[in-house]
Amino acid sequence: MSFSVPPWRATASASNPTPAAYPPSATPAYIPVQARRSLAHNKPTLPATNGADMTPADAAPPRVQFPPAVRSYVQRCFAPENQMASVSTAEMQEKLRFVITDAAENHKLDIIDWERLALPQVMVQNERNKILANPNVSNWGISTPSSPADPSRKRKSTDIHQEGTGSPPWRKANNNTRNRFEDRITHPSTEKRPRMTTDDSSKSKANLEMRKKRFEGAGASYGNSASASPVPSPARSPPADQGPVIGRCQTLEKNYFRLTSAPNPDTVRPLSVLQKTLDLLKKKWKKEGNYGYICDQFKSLRQDLTVQHIRNEFTVIVYEIHARIALEKGDLGEYNQCQTQLRVLYKQQLGGHPTEFKAYRILYFIYTRNWTAMNDALADVTADDRQDLAVKHALDVRSALALGNYHRFFQLYLDTPNMGAYLMDMFVDRERLTALAAICRAYKPDVNIRFITEELGFESDEQTARFVIENSSAELLEEKTGSVRLLTGKAGPLFEQAKAAAHAVVDIKGQI
Amino acid sequence: MSTLAAEFKSAYGAGSGDGLAAVFTPIATQNKPYRLQSFYDFTNAASLQKDLSFALFHGKSLKVPRAEQTAWVDIFAAYWEAVGEVLKCEQGRRDASLVAVFIAWKKVANALIRGYSSSSGIPAWTLPCLYTVGKYLRTFAIKADIEAAAQGTSGFGFQDDVAADIEKNANLEEAARIINRMFTLCLSDRAPIEESRKWGIYNTTNLIFKTYFKINSVGLTKNLLRAIKAQSADLPPLEAFPKSHIVTFEYYVGVIHFLDENYAEAEQHLATAWNMCYRGASRNKELILTYLIPCHLVTTHTLPSDQLLASFPRLEKLFRPLSNCIRKGDLVGFDKAMSAGEEEFVKRRIYLPLERGRDIALRNLFRKVFIAGGVEEPKEGQPPVRRTRIPVVEFAAALRIGTHATNRTRVDIDEVECLISNLIYKGLMKGYIARERGMVVLSKNNTAFPGTGV
Repeated sequence: MSFSVPPWRATASASNPTPAAYPPSATPAYIPVQARRSLAHNKPTLPATNGADMTPADAAPPRVQFPPAVRSYVQRCFAPENQMASVSTAEMQEKLRFVITDAAENHKLDIIDWERLALPQVMVQNERNKILANPNVSNWGISTPSSPADPSRKRKSTDIHQEGTGSPPWRKANNNTRNRFEDRITHPSTEKRPRMTTDDSSKSKANLEMRKKRFEGAGASYGNSASASPVPSPARSPPADQGPVIGRCQTLEKNYFRLTSAPNPDTVRPLSVLQKTLDLLKKKWKKEGNYGYICDQFKSLRQDLTVQHIRNEFTVIVYEIHARIALEKGDLGEYNQCQTQLRVLYKQQLGGHPTEFKAYRILYFIYTRNWTAMNDALADVTADDRQDLAVKHALDVRSALALGNYHRFFQLYLDTPNMGAYLMDMFVDRERLTALAAICRAYKPDVNIRFITEELGFESDEQTARFVIENSSAELLEEKTGSVRLLTGKAGPLFEQAKAAAHAVVDIKGQI
Repeated sequence: MSTLAAEFKSAYGAGSGDGLAAVFTPIATQNKPYRLQSFYDFTNAASLQKDLSFALFHGKSLKVPRAEQTAWVDIFAAYWEAVGEVLKCEQGRRDASLVAVFIAWKKVANALIRGYSSSSGIPAWTLPCLYTVGKYLRTFAIKADIEAAAQGTSGFGFQDDVAADIEKNANLEEAARIINRMFTLCLSDRAPIEESRKWGIYNTTNLIFKTYFKINSVGLTKNLLRAIKAQSADLPPLEAFPKSHIVTFEYYVGVIHFLDENYAEAEQHLATAWNMCYRGASRNKELILTYLIPCHLVTTHTLPSDQLLASFPRLEKLFRPLSNCIRKGDLVGFDKAMSAGEEEFVKRRIYLPLERGRDIALRNLFRKVFIAGGVEEPKEGQPPVRRTRIPVVEFAAALRIGTHATNRTRVDIDEVECLISNLIYKGLMKGYIARERGMVVLSKNNTAFPGTGV
């Protein structure tokens, strides 16, 4: 059986120098006992010479009197006829120590039927069998070598223990309990807590490992890198804020997957690859126009830039292109994300098209009617920006709407630079209703529909008529002397209602 | 130390919250320039607790429950460390750091919060300490942010996107969270109202408002207002609170509504603040007026009087040119004044409501057209009536006043109609447009321009 140490296993052993030395055990409660034993201050309390010539029978210390049943149990453990070839003395002692400590701590010394209790070596053997029969029971079982197969490694660390103490296991266990008892008297809180925490942390660490393992499986399926199985690599999970990741993935396309842990360099594309990716995506977008695919790809592209801390003109271009595509498809949620990022990127003077996007930003806040943000956006506009056609246009649009100057607004609408028209399309109908509400109040007794078509930027009288009918009723249109006229008096209240409905709060959280 | 301990003892003995708060003011005062230094020098880290409890509570003069004593000693211990950091900065030492000051002061705040919330039970009359500590927490956080920005730090974390705007206010946001805890501490106290910390609610709220405005997250203030509203049944009436708390609170609530363009509500709160404001607090009055004047312009179409502006030079500079143009109906001048003041207006977030003043300027201009139109031939036995049917071109001519002929040779008649229709829609003008005849028909009997006498 070859055992490669998986990464989660490797980290576990790093924190605990001698894991392989302990017999496999499915009970996590075993760990704290080991931890206890390694605490340095316990050792000096035990004179080395003391244990050497002691026999099990008289080893019970004066303070804690073990019942005779326990003593005979221990004696039986060490009896030569009970030794098993497959279980070493060290392992047996470990187990024994555990059994007695456990019993003493839980005040079960008098409850347990020591006559019938299985000897520690038998317990060890049983546990081993169980794990062999069903390897999934325990993580430990898989990676720990079965003890007889690898005696040298295990021997080493156990020998050290033996040398250091030289006392029989129960003697030590006894010492432990006694020390703990004394400790409790002097420092009640400090004694209890470390035990609890070690126990907790080992348990939660185990949980964490399990979770990580699960995610690695998922990662292999979404990432298209070479790592199909969780290959151990110590560099794979650097701590969160230890500088940028350096990617080594060479595949152009990658699905977006939200990060839940530090990124794996194997699935991150370096800048040179990302540049090719962008070219590919641009071509694909032109050819196929599949927004779902493009958006996903751009998100992963942005993610790779972020995790590698790449902030340069390329970053700006990526965000700009994604923002424009999102605009074109009316995906304002995604657009807004890009816009927020772009605002910060532009502040760092990395190039790109700041004025174009400042203009979009103003139009966007007109649409969402977020006046607090609009105030901020206006504060961002500098005197130089004002000279820019797009910015000037957006500012004029804003001011025209603020003053209710629909005439000017629709002139501006028909002459929008860049991709601003996509944004203006979002709120143009809303403003048409506002304008109609005003027109109906001001003009009496009726107006030619031709006037509305021209004034409110409709393409044809038919479109105007359809808009009127959709938002109010057909009875408001009347044919008179060869032209269709809107009966303003009756229409007023209806458009007023439609306007109020259209101006209800805009929710842009939904994304495509 | 002896000074600070004596201050503490006398303030505590007298039950003076403000006196107690003065002890925790981490600056040297004029008459006691070495109060911090001597406090810091009086002990060292090793014997801090012991010295403090001796200095503060030894002797029979002060009767303080044991648990509360411990809490005060903890607070003073944190205060002592913070003072150490403050002194380092004042002395310009190389290891001085404003971030360290903030971190140390955070501990003071936390110790104080613990003192109030745990069973050690610091009484509610000492709340001014909380205000002072909170106030300096905010100040130190701002300074720490400036220092951190100058040193340039960058943290990334697991974000999908590159930019994190939050970084530059990291300390202040931390401060906001702690002040928020102070707020909760006050709001959730269930002790009988005479000795409840509920009295601290508006002061702490104001402090968070201030912080949220600074970090540009005005939206978060809504949560606080909601929390207060939910508790309102258990709160004493607003008038029962100290005026200083209420004025600030009403001011902020007004500004919050103002930013949301709820001018009517904003005006209500701002007016309350204005009426209650201490008359000597000219800076505060100026702040209130900065928002109240634009509010008033939008809701009632009235302008500030010269007399009012005269006593606030800064506001006069801000509003006088604009209000003169509005009064005269000078559109060109109005546009000029708007763009001249734009930067300042935008910075103070009053550009949008002021812009609406253009409607009033327009109304005043068209009103002049109406008056200049004169009266009709009086019919026999009838008093003369104003001419109420006015050609649109006359309004167009008025709009051309002050514009250069080359600049705008022709005013678009459609646009003029649009402007008129807007005034009619907004109720600033009464009448209708007869488009085919190119006429505006205004209402008779001195109601054509409501509220202006004609």
